Amino acid sequence: MKKSFSLLVVLVLALTFAGAVFANGGSESSTDAAGSGNLEASLALAGQVDALTAADGQPLIKVSGTGREVPARPADPEALPEDNPLHWWDMEFAGWNSTKKNIPDSPKDGAIGKKVIMIVHGDHPWTTACINGATKVADVYNMDFKALSPNWDLAVQNQMIDQAINERPDLLLLIPLDAKTAPQQARKINQAGVPLIMFNTLPEAEAMDYCIAWTGPDDFGQFRKLSHLWADKLGKEGGVAYIQHAPGGSPYFARYWGPRSELAEYAPGIKVLDAQAPGFEADKTQQLVSDWLTRFGDEIVGICAADDSAQGLGISEALKKAGREDIVVIAAGNSKQGMDLVKSGDIYAITYQTAEGDGALAVKTAADWFNGEELPPVRYLPQHMITIDDVEDFYPPQW
Amino acid sequence: MMRNKINKKQILSLGDRYRIYVLFVLVFVVMTLFAPHFFNAWNLTSIMKTVAMNGTVAIGFTIILIVGQLDLSIGTIITFAAVIGLGLKDAVGYGVSVPLAIIAGGLIGLINGLLVAKVKINSFIVTLGMLTALQGAIYTITGGNTIAVTDDQAFAISDWLQHQIVPMLTPRVIIAIVLVVSFSIFLRRTRKGRNFFMVGGNSKTAWLAGVDSDKYTIVAFVISGVMAAIGGILFAMESAAATLNLGTNSLMYVLSATIIGGTSMAGGKGGVFRSFIAVLTLTTLYNGIVLLGLGNEVQIFISGIILASVILYEAFVEYRHDKVVGQRPELLKELNTIQ
Repeated sequence: MKKSFSLLVVLVLALTFAGAVFANGGSESSTDAAGSGNLEASLALAGQVDALTAADGQPLIKVSGTGREVPARPADPEALPEDNPLHWWDMEFAGWNSTKKNIPDSPKDGAIGKKVIMIVHGDHPWTTACINGATKVADVYNMDFKALSPNWDLAVQNQMIDQAINERPDLLLLIPLDAKTAPQQARKINQAGVPLIMFNTLPEAEAMDYCIAWTGPDDFGQFRKLSHLWADKLGKEGGVAYIQHAPGGSPYFARYWGPRSELAEYAPGIKVLDAQAPGFEADKTQQLVSDWLTRFGDEIVGICAADDSAQGLGISEALKKAGREDIVVIAAGNSKQGMDLVKSGDIYAITYQTAEGDGALAVKTAADWFNGEELPPVRYLPQHMITIDDVEDFYPPQW
Repeated sequence: MMRNKINKKQILSLGDRYRIYVLFVLVFVVMTLFAPHFFNAWNLTSIMKTVAMNGTVAIGFTIILIVGQLDLSIGTIITFAAVIGLGLKDAVGYGVSVPLAIIAGGLIGLINGLLVAKVKINSFIVTLGMLTALQGAIYTITGGNTIAVTDDQAFAISDWLQHQIVPMLTPRVIIAIVLVVSFSIFLRRTRKGRNFFMVGGNSKTAWLAGVDSDKYTIVAFVISGVMAAIGGILFAMESAAATLNLGTNSLMYVLSATIIGGTSMAGGKGGVFRSFIAVLTLTTLYNGIVLLGLGNEVQIFISGIILASVILYEAFVEYRHDKVVGQRPELLKELNTIQ
């Protein structure tokens, strides 16, 4: 009996595996939406897309009008000290000088009905808003659109990339989980012949060679601008501390080294007291800030946070408990918690970082590519700092 | 009549013993029927590639549970080995850095094992401490940065690790399968292998039989460390990068799979091959869920339901067994037949 059962199991496994080998491996063709009228119809939808709005009432698609002034690349950026803004050139301007490899030509047959798969980094209210924005644009083009989340797990994201390739989409949109793992992921998608647009998280420069374009927030640029506001408020002097993003990703560098290297030139009188990455839990941030207040006392006059929600709440609670509302706080935004804290005066300024717009811009860029439009290698969302003066304009919050 | 009853019990017994195989076939067939793009060589290869890391790690973790211990540090050992292996690659090449990473995993296991077996500290505490210490060490070594290798040689090795030597089996998958089969044979067919079960199942019997429990406990931790390191370094070589949270999700994944596979947390019972099939089952399930267009929250929910059901079932069997011990010997004999 035991042997029979084992035999049965082995047989079932063998049959299914053998069947799989001879089955059509990843050969299902993508949606064939091409048609002579499709391009014209697709181009005609531009006005409809422009009219879309995000949950906060702001226009959904906002492309940075002027783009970004890109300085000449130093011969060896890494040889420069870390507090020199040009040290970060390769990361900050990744993609601007990329040498594209094996990039497929646009089919120039319109975006309507195209199959597009979006792979994000993980579950978060921001991600939900991002997918909502992407879906709004995809719906206008009647795309066969699907979003996948690997829940911050690289192994799962790699598996999802395989699965997406297997489905042979017309285009793949990817938020790489980590800047440095992105080159191999992009290379693999490129080798499989699937057109790729990366968005939101800046990958290492090599990854840009394998994708059509990158879209997303100008995190470095935003934080350089935000740091000027901060320094002006602080009178360009005093001790400050940084609460960092999760190590590894581009926000970690942009939101710490961006302002730090900027202030080394703009406000050299500002001294960095400490920098820590406590994660995204309010209680851990609160503990960290309380420790700083004990350790540095009156010396600390400013805190820069990589996140305005959980980290913002933790900072606010710690400062209230210590009676140190004089400390000037800035953060990356713009969550509901962050905007509420700006409104109440607990945070001085946050960056406008439209989650819906981020996803929407990626899908719109894909549509532009299907339409045969010439694309820049990088498309930024616009820069804007939210303060108490205009925070009301961004309610209700996107997430 | 009696014969029919026995046959029914025997079927139940086999169903219980081979439940993970039944579950796997069930999941596989359901996904083949309902999940689009599931049943093709590309997707099945993708599943096997995903299984390779956690399947390898599950070998060591199963042996740890068999000896009645727990190793919470496997996730950080995965990351640590990946960081060592890739971090030293430019300086000494993979030829040296990979063995060093695996040795590092073994040494961490050795420290865990010595503290548990010789200093008699609870393995939960020891490995929790090791997990925290290693996390700190990883952040100190890397400065918070992902380690990536982007030279041609690294990409060539990465490509080779992803290439199918035989259909659906890449080198990483083959290594995992060879390790699983070897350890299965070792544990079931050799006296030393069976001693691991004795140590975890009944330490007094082990002592009376002259089995050195401490030695087997230490060896179990070393194996766990080495397997986690192999899983981690091979995955990192294939990705050409070692992220700092690489192994974070592996602990829960491997723990769930090992228990679903029938390894008892109380020790003395389990199997490496069944754990591997359980990892394969969970991976197939998650893969199918994604292809069905369902979200990550559904994955978590379903795996939670499966795990809870298996734990409840195990508890029920244990309760039923304990209830008749010493009171109804004839019932106990009958129950043992079923189990």
